[in-house]
Amino acid sequence: MLITCPYCGPRDVIEFTYQGDGNRERPDPASQNFEAWNAYVYDRLNPAGDHNEIWQHSGGCRAHLKVVRNTLTHEISSVAFMRSDHGRGDHGRGDHGSAARRKAEDKA
Amino acid sequence: MSPRRADTGGRIDRLKTIRFTFDGTAYTGHAGDTLASALLAKGVTLYGRSFKYHRPRGLLTAGVEEPNALVTVLKGEVREPNIPATMVEIHDGLVAISQNRFPSLAWDINAVNQLGGKILSAGFYYKTFMGPVFGPLKGTRFWMFCEHFIRRAAGLGSAGSAKDPARYGRMNAFCDVLVVGSGPAGLMAAKAAADQGARVMLADLEPLFGGSANWSEETIDGAPAADWARRTVAQLAGRDNVRLLPRTTVWGYYDNNTLAALERVSDHKDQPVKGEPRHRYWAIRAKSVVLATGAFERPLVFPGNDRPGVMLAHAAERYANEFGVLPGERIALFTNNDSAYRAAVALKKAGAAVVAIADVRPELSPEMRKLASEAEAEIFAGHAVVATEGGKALSGLKLQRFDMTNGALIGDARSIHADCLLMSGGWSPTIHLASQAGAKAEWNAARQAFLPPKPAQSWIGAGAFTGSFSTAEAIAEGRTAGIAAAGGQSTPSVLPVVEAVPGDPDPAPVFEIRAKGKSFVDFQHDVTAEDVRLAHREGFVSVEHLKRYTTLGMATDQGKSSNVPGLAIMAEALGKPIPEVGTTRFRPPFAPVSIGSLAAERFGDLKPERLTPMHDWHLANGATMYSAGLWYRPMIYGHAGETVEQAYVREAKATRESAGIVDVSTLGKIAVQGPDAAAFLDRVYTNMFSTLAVGKARYGLMLREDGLAFDDGTTWRLGEQDFLMTTTTANAGKVMQHLEYFLDVIWPELKVHVTSVTDEWAGAAIGGPKARQILAACVTGTSVDNAALPFMGIVRGEISGVPVMICRLSFSGEMAFEVYSGAGHGTHVWEALVEAGKPFGLVTYGLEALGTMRIEKGHVTGAEIDGRTTARDLHLDWMLSKKKPFIGSAMMDREGLIASDRLELVGLIALDNRPFNGGAHIVEEVDEANPHGSIGHITACCYSPALGRHIALALVKGGKARQGTRAHVSDPLRNRFGPVEIVSNHFFDPDGSRMHG
Amino acid sequence: MVERQSPEPLSPLEPEFHVGSHGNFEHGVEIILTETRPGSIVQLAAWPGEEKKLIAAIRTVTGLALPDGAGGGLSDGVKSVFGFAPGKFTVADEAEGLAAAFAKVVTPAIGTVTDLSHGRTAIRIAGPKAEWVLAKFFAIDFALPAFPTGAGRSTTHHDVFAQIQRTGADQFDIYVFRSFARSFWKALCHASEEVGYEVQ
Ligand SMILES: [Zn+2]
Repeated sequence: MLITCPYCGPRDVIEFTYQGDGNRERPDPASQNFEAWNAYVYDRLNPAGDHNEIWQHSGGCRAHLKVVRNTLTHEISSVAFMRSDHGRGDHGRGDHGSAARRKAEDKA
Repeated sequence: MSPRRADTGGRIDRLKTIRFTFDGTAYTGHAGDTLASALLAKGVTLYGRSFKYHRPRGLLTAGVEEPNALVTVLKGEVREPNIPATMVEIHDGLVAISQNRFPSLAWDINAVNQLGGKILSAGFYYKTFMGPVFGPLKGTRFWMFCEHFIRRAAGLGSAGSAKDPARYGRMNAFCDVLVVGSGPAGLMAAKAAADQGARVMLADLEPLFGGSANWSEETIDGAPAADWARRTVAQLAGRDNVRLLPRTTVWGYYDNNTLAALERVSDHKDQPVKGEPRHRYWAIRAKSVVLATGAFERPLVFPGNDRPGVMLAHAAERYANEFGVLPGERIALFTNNDSAYRAAVALKKAGAAVVAIADVRPELSPEMRKLASEAEAEIFAGHAVVATEGGKALSGLKLQRFDMTNGALIGDARSIHADCLLMSGGWSPTIHLASQAGAKAEWNAARQAFLPPKPAQSWIGAGAFTGSFSTAEAIAEGRTAGIAAAGGQSTPSVLPVVEAVPGDPDPAPVFEIRAKGKSFVDFQHDVTAEDVRLAHREGFVSVEHLKRYTTLGMATDQGKSSNVPGLAIMAEALGKPIPEVGTTRFRPPFAPVSIGSLAAERFGDLKPERLTPMHDWHLANGATMYSAGLWYRPMIYGHAGETVEQAYVREAKATRESAGIVDVSTLGKIAVQGPDAAAFLDRVYTNMFSTLAVGKARYGLMLREDGLAFDDGTTWRLGEQDFLMTTTTANAGKVMQHLEYFLDVIWPELKVHVTSVTDEWAGAAIGGPKARQILAACVTGTSVDNAALPFMGIVRGEISGVPVMICRLSFSGEMAFEVYSGAGHGTHVWEALVEAGKPFGLVTYGLEALGTMRIEKGHVTGAEIDGRTTARDLHLDWMLSKKKPFIGSAMMDREGLIASDRLELVGLIALDNRPFNGGAHIVEEVDEANPHGSIGHITACCYSPALGRHIALALVKGGKARQGTRAHVSDPLRNRFGPVEIVSNHFFDPDGSRMHG
Repeated sequence: MVERQSPEPLSPLEPEFHVGSHGNFEHGVEIILTETRPGSIVQLAAWPGEEKKLIAAIRTVTGLALPDGAGGGLSDGVKSVFGFAPGKFTVADEAEGLAAAFAKVVTPAIGTVTDLSHGRTAIRIAGPKAEWVLAKFFAIDFALPAFPTGAGRSTTHHDVFAQIQRTGADQFDIYVFRSFARSFWKALCHASEEVGYEVQ
């Protein structure tokens, strides 16, 4: 399985660490709502089909990624940074080397 | 030249003689020979004994699908079993032996198994090892006794026990187009893709590229097909966008067009080049793949079809044309399709007499009749072979009139004298990789074969793989596939012109001739047509169950030749058409893969390991090293004649009496930097860090989200926005990921960066009553007295000209300091400290003494923070701040986590003064004969030099309330029972007067 | 090189660093291995949105003008810089003191500076078979169009985390954790044997 990291490009799944179900919502830190905490810590959707997952590119740039993966086929339909402030088109983000590659190809 | 070897032709080099042995007999062959072709040239007909019945077996095929002629290759002490002789390239010094025979191949005692055929039928193993369920032997061990002999008799080659000294390698590769198979289709595809400028890889499991071009005797553009292949390969070899991989089996097709291949780099050489691996495992990421894997010819199922001398028709053609070897002198053919006629002509040309062609079809085309007459063979249309004769070689066969509409045999059988029988039951496209890649194969009634499914991944098929069996089609499809795979647009072009013998690609739908005698479906697992029917009679209707029950297709050849005939017989038994019976999905590997190639360079010396900056000093100074995860740490610095216990007791004692120094560089160290660093640490730790002054350190505890304890360590505030966090050695990576997760996923608004600086700093912990004096003797640039360096204070100074950071904190319970320097200077500082400590009796100590002193102090480590304990269980509830929420605070007070009967940390003293064992259970009442009633277990134990007792830390139910009471240790595995006293975990200096000084 | 204040740091490769030709070198070596031993290795990380200011700071301190794009980098033979993660860069210099120099220009509003001069070991692999040998370890595409000169990549071999910068058509600098360096070096030498290598 390959995951296309928005920063590093397509990499083997061996470089990534699964960091859990991406559908969980962490309650307010001060909240004493046990049900909500329990749901956050223990409840998982486990769908057969598209699933929102969190993967860390732990063997690469170490960014956490929002990955939509089909649990039946392993097909990955989208990958994005967890942080919304990554990949906004700021310098150095979101184009996994294409600009640098273009430059190299222009030279060649 | 041997009588069976032609003087010219083929891929072999007759000027090069190669010497090898088979079953101890010396043979010669030629460069380019396989073990199979070389032995066949010498008239060898017997290659192995069958799996269950020990029937003599010869060569069935000439390639990777060979089920019979499996051999063991010996390299020194190392033996590699179950290699098809057809895949072994001979080289000088090759030593091969046959398998599954005792005492010899020619005279095998277990051949009596043939007489017991009824007993060794389908499901034999399942039935037998149940043992008798009634009768006099019921419930006895008699069957266990028999099992031993049965298991010995069945099977293939045996694995060796010698260490394999060969080198195995791994390679990652990326390409635009991977072409699998180098027959005419594959070669055209590779060339077309390369012409488009794509990065191309071409892999073939054979040593010689060309596939059928090497033996078809067809012409392409007027030249022999083999020459055309040679020219095309030379063109490809000259291009720098093409990588050629001969002897490379693509064996796995995984998600996202990731393919696995095994290159046999040096098996065919007497000696590998220095540093060259034996096998190389290729992990290939291809943008697209061209599957040009060809097709396998199928055997026909009839009595005696496994006798040595019975061979697939194309295999004989290969031996004759590719190796110049005739498999027999009087050859008969038995077929249900046209392709065998080409073989008849080829063998005639090569010098054999073709005595008969039996064809199940009553009507034959004029073209086939013409070919038969070219071969000077008598045609028996509408006939079938019903028996074969001979022992270790074929002597003849019986033919009978056959009605293919109902399978009936009519009239009398007639005998034909022949030493070789070639059979052809049609062709099955080699769709294994496509099947692995996803979708289900589709049955094609005309071809009587499963054709590749619609691609579920990015691949394109070409040639016989798609069911297009002619070379002209292969060339056209190969070109189209190559261009498409490279992302180009196909333009009309003049294709190479093929001259080939004619033939209808569709066989007659005949798989089996039902007559008296054993008719084999799966040659390698000795599964007969009758076994398949028996399975059906016993109620097996699913093809998946049939496969497992009969073991059809489950041998090392994975049923390459047997799957379709087996299905056809099953379908007939069920009275269903083949597509309704279905086929099983192919799984990787396509062909057996060496374990060494999968483990490549991840074992022995090449396993990654982590060394501290002072590693070499430790080795040079008598340390016995201990592996802790990937790290290597000194266990003890033993003196001559000392036991491990004597050494650590000496080290711990000296530390408490004067001073000791230990390498703590392995502790996880994380730089936590940024304007929100303090606020972040407040959320991460259970206690406060925002109140920590710059230049001070604090002990911190982390919980997991579920409220259980996670990790502990000290964190140093080096600047307003700059913290140095330390973690336990084992959890360094986990804590780092934990912090990164919260910063990236939960609190992206916090301006904090975390960086692993474990390797930036060398750490030496020096402790004991004389520790401060030793530091004072070697540290410059700062005072280390109580005013300058109070408990948990940090100063910067120099030792031997090296900048250092010193923090006064203690794990040993002594007045102690951690001295950090740049890792490259770790040994300088360590040596300076050791030198300065000499007048004070400083000792170096290892993990054992470290552990002993921490047990005496009752500090917790990973043995107690085991993922099940809470802060309260470990008496660390004083660290749980009530002023702020932190990770785990919401969940830590759940009912189950505050119950009074939880396992709590206590100390144990052995009242019988004998050593404890880690993991031993604690019980209230001891019963050696019937151990039960555990109330907890030991997490760590040692002999305590400070107390003069054997002590332990333990997690005991309601342990706090039990302090001052007695219990027992119960360790039946190690036969250790005895009374203990339950005490506080703080054995030594509980008020900390020593470390506070 | 700037004169050192403190003793020369020890190389973690020392006992396994054997200068000379090794392996299958009779027909010439196709790999050169060496340790570059930069005086400074620094990690710089910008807060989101502050990358351009950090890039400017890098230019101020090193004179290297980073190209646009993730993983882009530059090397002038003395100083090197490359991006290895969103907003994060590794900078190396033959001279010591890079961390102190950056501390002056990278304000807390821009990002952070982390000195890794001791914590990372820089190994250089060069020669016509450099891509071949590296491909044995890392599952990334080393071909020049996919990995242009100057660019950086973060990747992993087994448990060994590595940052790799291409510093020439046939040359790569690999930054590994110091504690893993010897183990990785041994593996690199082992993998280079079949093509012949020289340690310089
Ligand atoms: Zn990444």
